[in-house]
Amino acid sequence: MLTTDVFPYLLGLSAFMFSLGAAGVLIRRNPLVVFMCIELMLNAGNVALVAYGRFLNSQEGQIFAFMVIVVAAAEVVVGLAIMTTIFRLGRKLDVDDLSELNE
Amino acid sequence: MTLLLGIVMLLAAISALGVVLSRQTLYSALSLVVTLSMVAVIFLLLNAQFLFAVQIIIYAGAVMVLFVFIIALLNPEAEDRPAFDWRSWIGIAAVAGITILVFVTARNGITYNDGGLRGAQIGRVSDPYHTFSFPPDAVNAAGNVQTVAGQLFTTFILPFEITSLLLLVAAIGAVYLTRREHSGS
Repeated sequence: MLTTDVFPYLLGLSAFMFSLGAAGVLIRRNPLVVFMCIELMLNAGNVALVAYGRFLNSQEGQIFAFMVIVVAAAEVVVGLAIMTTIFRLGRKLDVDDLSELNE
Repeated sequence: MTLLLGIVMLLAAISALGVVLSRQTLYSALSLVVTLSMVAVIFLLLNAQFLFAVQIIIYAGAVMVLFVFIIALLNPEAEDRPAFDWRSWIGIAAVAGITILVFVTARNGITYNDGGLRGAQIGRVSDPYHTFSFPPDAVNAAGNVQTVAGQLFTTFILPFEITSLLLLVAAIGAVYLTRREHSGS
């Protein structure tokens, strides 16, 4: 049986994964890797939600984590569709090159 | 069990580093598979069996297969890694700083009561939700899927219904974005 001693470590892991994902979104230029870093951030949020739910004796954390998973799946579908469209236009997969909306 | 949780958390952290630092996109994807599986094991150890199954099926299964498929289709070349200079230290300091800050705050700023069963003292103990408490033993006796579904279809029925709309919009959006333009029709 887990005790509450592990709770700060779980929150620390969550913060580590989230900040690492945020750093990855900022430093990587491949949009596919940027998407993977967003997935990393969403999973960090899920870890925190489930940990809070477990140690607050509540099920709400799991429900919200479930919703986050659904939203992440929908986001991946649309994001990868955008990426195939970019590829079909013959553009290089690089977030620095993709500035059509800026012009 | 605590030792297992420690090992799994360590593996999750290392593979999360692999996602961000790999030069090849495919290596990032494979590291992410490891991270998601380890997060699933953390869910299992935290008494969330339903989320464990959902995480394995949807994330490690569907989403990552989609990622690997797109990587194989688009075949992006490896990035040249930016030089390790003073800006790298900003990133390292930010990640380490946020992690340590959250850990120290959680370690020292949260008080526990009821022998830790009730958990963090964020709200009042006498709040109405205290009567709707779900201690792990009671949840395991009733079944994790049963309790999650019981809440999902009663208290959280509106978010659940909105989810179906979201999935419909995502499907229509994907079809719209990837459709082929027919000139002259």
